Amino acid sequence: MTFQNMVATFSGAFIFPFLIRMLWGKMCESWGNIGGWVAAGFIVGTAWTLNHGVGMMFQTGGAWIDMAWAAGIGLFVASVASGDSLSKGLSNYFFALVGGTLGGFILSCFM
Amino acid sequence: MKHLGTIIGTAIAGIFVMSVWGAFAEAYGIGGGWFAGLIIIGTMWFLNHAVGIINNDGAFVDMAAGIGMAGTMRDVFLHGGEAFTSSLPTLIVVLLGGITGGFAAVKLEQYLAKKEAKEEKAEA
Repeated sequence: MTFQNMVATFSGAFIFPFLIRMLWGKMCESWGNIGGWVAAGFIVGTAWTLNHGVGMMFQTGGAWIDMAWAAGIGLFVASVASGDSLSKGLSNYFFALVGGTLGGFILSCFM
Repeated sequence: MKHLGTIIGTAIAGIFVMSVWGAFAEAYGIGGGWFAGLIIIGTMWFLNHAVGIINNDGAFVDMAAGIGMAGTMRDVFLHGGEAFTSSLPTLIVVLLGGITGGFAAVKLEQYLAKKEAKEEKAEA
């Protein structure tokens, strides 16, 4: 991983949770649940084209590191920084990782 | 029960993202990838956060936490632990970038809220 790779990967990881935190809630506030779909396309779809479509996030190894990692931790940290409960959040985060592991195992059974 | 919802919700989201998304991108290129974001994340967000089967009584846990784990663990189950260690540098940089991005967003959010409150006060 070169210095350039790190700058690009770091920046891509910065942009994704930043956009979600700044925009997603406002879209839902303005357009209700449809705002969630708009956000899915225009935030996640568009960030995907940047990070994985054209490859801003450099992959060093054989296990896929998705931009979702950045969103998961970034939104969690943002929530803690704005005053939400860290201890309750941590146990929920743990179970999200358990669910992800289960999903990963099921995927490995047919891919 | 509340944690079961989190586990099922993130597992399903992870399965969709880490199999169907790539297939769309392969079949239709970058437009397919964008479209996959719309249909997969749209539907999974509705399940996990609008209907709300992910338990969120504390600091906000996004389904993305599970999705990232699913993609990485898929390859660990397929190729073994060495795949994980070789990907560790990327993971660390991505987590650091994500933390910085989320933190910066909150700081800007607080600044904007303060500015708005000031303007409202000035009008009144």
